[in-house]
Amino acid sequence: MPTHDHYVIIGNGPAGNAAAFTLRENDPDAAITIISHENICFYSKPKLVKYLAGKVDEDALAVRTMDEYRRRHIRLRLGQTVAHIDPDSQSLHLSHMEKVHYTDLIIASGARARLLPSMKPYADCLTFVTEFNDTRGLRKKIADGSRFFIFGGDLVAFKFLKMLTDMGKQVTLLLYPRAFWPHRLTKDMQDAIVKNLAPTGADILADDDLDTIVQDQGKYCVTTKQGVRTQADLVFSFNGLIPEVDFARGCGLEIDHGILVDETMRTSLEHIFACGSCAQIYNPDINTYTTSIGWPNAQVQGKVAGLNLLGEHHKVRPAGRKYFDLEGVKIKTSWWEDLEKGKDT
Amino acid sequence: MKTIDKDINIVIEICGSAGEGTISAGEILSRFMSAQGFEIMSFDAYPAEIRGFGKCVAHTRVSSNPIYSPGKLADVLIALNDNHAISQLSALKKGGILIYDSQPPKPHEEDESVVARADAETISYGVPLTMLAQKAAGNARGRNMVALGAVTALFHLDRDAFTKSIKDRYGKKKQIVIDSNVNSFLEGFDWTKENIEKEDTISFHGVTPPQTKAEQKREKLIINGNQLVAKAALDADLKFYAGYPITPATKIMEILSKELPKHGGTLLQTEDEISAIGAVIGAGYGGIRAMTGTSGPGFALMTEFTGLSVMAEVPAVIIDSQRGGPSTGIPTKTEQSDFNAAVFGGTGDCPRVVLAPTDTQSCYGATVLALYLAEKYQTLVVILLDFFLSNSIRNIDAPQKPAPDMRHANIAPDPADLADYQRYKITDSGISPRAIPGTPGGMFFATGLEHDAYGRPNYTDKGHLAMTAKRFRKHASVLAEAPAPMISGMAAGDWCSNTMMPEQDTGGDPSGTGIQGLEEGAAGSSPGISDNDGPQEMVDIGVISWGSSAGAAHEAVMTAAGEGISAAGFSSMMLSPFPKKDLAAFAGRCKKILIPELNYRGQFADFVTTIIKRPVERLNFITGRPMAAEDIVEKMKEM
Repeated sequence: MPTHDHYVIIGNGPAGNAAAFTLRENDPDAAITIISHENICFYSKPKLVKYLAGKVDEDALAVRTMDEYRRRHIRLRLGQTVAHIDPDSQSLHLSHMEKVHYTDLIIASGARARLLPSMKPYADCLTFVTEFNDTRGLRKKIADGSRFFIFGGDLVAFKFLKMLTDMGKQVTLLLYPRAFWPHRLTKDMQDAIVKNLAPTGADILADDDLDTIVQDQGKYCVTTKQGVRTQADLVFSFNGLIPEVDFARGCGLEIDHGILVDETMRTSLEHIFACGSCAQIYNPDINTYTTSIGWPNAQVQGKVAGLNLLGEHHKVRPAGRKYFDLEGVKIKTSWWEDLEKGKDT
Repeated sequence: MKTIDKDINIVIEICGSAGEGTISAGEILSRFMSAQGFEIMSFDAYPAEIRGFGKCVAHTRVSSNPIYSPGKLADVLIALNDNHAISQLSALKKGGILIYDSQPPKPHEEDESVVARADAETISYGVPLTMLAQKAAGNARGRNMVALGAVTALFHLDRDAFTKSIKDRYGKKKQIVIDSNVNSFLEGFDWTKENIEKEDTISFHGVTPPQTKAEQKREKLIINGNQLVAKAALDADLKFYAGYPITPATKIMEILSKELPKHGGTLLQTEDEISAIGAVIGAGYGGIRAMTGTSGPGFALMTEFTGLSVMAEVPAVIIDSQRGGPSTGIPTKTEQSDFNAAVFGGTGDCPRVVLAPTDTQSCYGATVLALYLAEKYQTLVVILLDFFLSNSIRNIDAPQKPAPDMRHANIAPDPADLADYQRYKITDSGISPRAIPGTPGGMFFATGLEHDAYGRPNYTDKGHLAMTAKRFRKHASVLAEAPAPMISGMAAGDWCSNTMMPEQDTGGDPSGTGIQGLEEGAAGSSPGISDNDGPQEMVDIGVISWGSSAGAAHEAVMTAAGEGISAAGFSSMMLSPFPKKDLAAFAGRCKKILIPELNYRGQFADFVTTIIKRPVERLNFITGRPMAAEDIVEKMKEM
């Protein structure tokens, strides 16, 4: 039934866009607003590595054009940051003191780079690559630099390493066993990865940890616990992602690592849904909340959130066990239950 | 993302509420850019109220190349006040840059937020203007300076040079005022440099405006039309100014109230405009150069006296700076709707001279010329300015002072003729030698009644015809002294000496009038067009313009040429008498004619059609903003 509601979606990734377009398809009259802290239209994060390598330009990252939003009367609020949510007045407070009222809210704010607690003193020395904002100016630095240090070992880390070595750059990787968070790489897995990465020509350090990073005149000197010292133009950190939900804390929403939702994407508060990698979805099979990553999952969840917001009753299937291929090493995951139980997978 | 070459050509708008320092910030920005060697054109839109109401916009176009119009849409909008800036978003280019207060003093609703209303393609930079101003100076008044600091950091401008511009602007204020402004500026600069991730590509880094050494040495003035009119009047030996304050002409009187006494002159603020023109005619009768300034409502009041100036052949100069009308109208918006009133207004057959400067520089030449023509031809001269010309600021070459014979032009009677002095003697030129009261033997009647050669009332049909014809004969003589029309888009020198081509500016004519002989005392004459000019190539569109719209029209012609449209432009400072032969010849070489002007009915277009006797396309705006080249080009594409 047509409404004149205002649906607000926080996040301009696959989940947020699926939700917005689903809402529009099923409610032609409602006002729909997408709010994103990034000042760029919906783009492909997986292509960022190619973008940084100079193989594609900014236009090639685009998933949707501005015109598609205009045609569907979906309003984009780019470059705007949500400071907090006020569920009582059904409004969002943006960081510049603006209040945005909603009748229903879908949080699809995604995830951000994980900064290891031990690395906090060196946060200013680390470069993260999780979104387009991170890459501004980075392309030139990579092109101009000759030697780079990578700390971590998540899915993107190895792609990134290969991109750099393909560009003829000298790369040192310090493999961190907890980078593929929440899993810990076993010794066998680490050995296999080191072996499989050998053809890249990168220096791989395992069974070691970062000790200090010293910045001097735009260069970095990285020292490991075992005393290995490496000079680098940039030090990259790839240690997984964590849900981007800080703005939602304290408003009454139940939040663990991510925002807790049931299988219909409903949160603990009325009129608020969450989906994508910012959400932890209840899994009745194991009676706990798990999260899922990946573009297709996010799209499904966004669509389900949109439909259920409009009064339907759809459920997402719990993320099942899955194998990730980490440089030839297959990692079986059913995610959070392993974390909760403190097991290695 | 937009790409801007090292050729800088951008428009920056600052939008705030009256009293927030919007106009001051715009002025500082303009002066800084000028000092850096850029061409600037800026104007302010503000409400009629003094403070605390309404929207103010400081609009500045900055270019490394010559510019002729202010530009329609902004590349950058600085929002000092969200409520007002929301309505200014429509003047921001698609993909333009918005700088807004990211930490305003209190929460506001979505519909009150400028960034909420901005288009998705807008690049928005949130800068905590209020917070940084408070940090720098203990209050929020320095938000405008914080914004300038942000602009300086974002676009890689010279911080130290900008700081100097601020110090220069507030140089006469107390040290605490200077410090507050400078500190606010630096807070904005530092915060932006530290916190803003630049997403646009506007950068002044490494941009050097193409100036020759001679250009660098040339004295530049940063000045608006009103200031230049006042300067010209003083340089041209004005000795008396009477007036009643009215926007947008008041500034002329303000300046002259201080400066005229220093030059041995007198300024009289009268009780109304009728008294003002009466006093000016009285002063003119007494033999000194006199002038008044007003706007539409005041000009309407002066109409009766304009007839006396013409009938009694007494020099008088009226400046009418047009604003939105009729009646009190829209005091702080620009319009070109007094054309008919200035050229045709009044009763009887009343030939007068009407000049309309086409840009800031030509305000100087027009004023010098007006005082010269009024004195020499013993008649009324009206200068048509408008709100935009009066207030827009340009950096221009300092004008050359007029030569002595431009400053003293009265044709006195031969002493031998004083034995039987005929003040209104019938002559071929229409000029009767004029005895200044007090000249022995030079007594005469001066009256608004029709008269004979001695000035005595004479109502015969023959006498009226002879005197009317004599007064009209002055027009032919005036036209011979008039600056040539400005032509663009046709080959230089083919039939008009005052041809403007894309790569040229005003061509070394510092008065900007086309009057080549200011220094020597002889205004350049219109060469006219003869049948022997030979075959000319036809252009598709001829753009005929006047007054402040002329710059935009000529720029549009140049832009259109770049887009493959064959076009040429024609503008004349001289509206009455009008160079009709030149116009007819120009129109004869254009397949279609377009006339852009800032009035509703197309007053000038009506006038032109009576000369060229063919239909014309009209482009009329009464939006209160100056004509934009972009609007004209768009119209040309439709034609």
